[in-house]
Amino acid sequence: MRCKLDRRWIDHLLGLPESGMGYQRVDVRLHDGRELRNLLVFNAEDIETPEPLSVEDIADIRLHAT
Amino acid sequence: MIRLTASRTQELLSQPENGMGYQIVEVTNFAGRIEKGVAYNAELVVLQSDPPSYREAKITKSTYPGLLNLAESSAGEIRSIRVLKGERAISLSYRESVQKSAAAKPAKDAPKEKTKENEVFKRFSAYDKDNRRTADDGWLPGTYATTEKDAENVKTGSDAVARYALPNKAPASYVYTCKPKKDTTIQYGTVEPANDQPGGGVEVLFADGTNPGSVSGPEKIPD
Repeated sequence: MRCKLDRRWIDHLLGLPESGMGYQRVDVRLHDGRELRNLLVFNAEDIETPEPLSVEDIADIRLHAT
Repeated sequence: MIRLTASRTQELLSQPENGMGYQIVEVTNFAGRIEKGVAYNAELVVLQSDPPSYREAKITKSTYPGLLNLAESSAGEIRSIRVLKGERAISLSYRESVQKSAAAKPAKDAPKEKTKENEVFKRFSAYDKDNRRTADDGWLPGTYATTEKDAENVKTGSDAVARYALPNKAPASYVYTCKPKKDTTIQYGTVEPANDQPGGGVEVLFADGTNPGSVSGPEKIPD
């Protein structure tokens, strides 16, 4: 499923390089301590997640190390 | 330099090599002029009349995509091409393996080069508002695109998904054009198969972004 990121995270991702044309691979740390690894973000605004996610749940987003 | 059409490439692939990954060829153009050259990967021909910067260029995995991009298409230029047989022919299967590996390196791992005057690049996106385009019409650092020549292979947004192995299955039907100033930092590479897509297209990475006013579009192509 996809979650729309807010302006804060969009700007954060636009400061990071792409992984390929139009997308980034990222790791997401949630406020509850869990980490979701190797997620896809399209156009720095749409994140694909394996479970329903609210943008308020996100504590940090980093590029996924390959 | 000449980039051979697929049919010319097949013609050369049916003939032996003169050495590992190359053939010495004789090219006849439509004006009847005959010239010798070296064909690399049965695809890129460097002619004797080419400037020394091309004749003496190192053909490596990292420089090959850039040279291929600079070369003119043989379509409408070459009437015939034949291999001048040498004594060090090697098997077709080996040549195929060389051909596959020649440019198979992602742009992020390629050396940094500089763009030439009037080079044009294209970026395919599923979005009609590309967030990596800056307010002053440049691209942000770390933005991927492809060469204008490679983009000629893409007729639909679905073609772009396959050729650039995009993980977003939505057709990338919005095409942005970039004409960066000369000497913009660029890395050339080849898209590896990924995301259930074949890849194989040329990808370029602008690690430092592009200058204001360089980006225009998008144009919409069929999905």
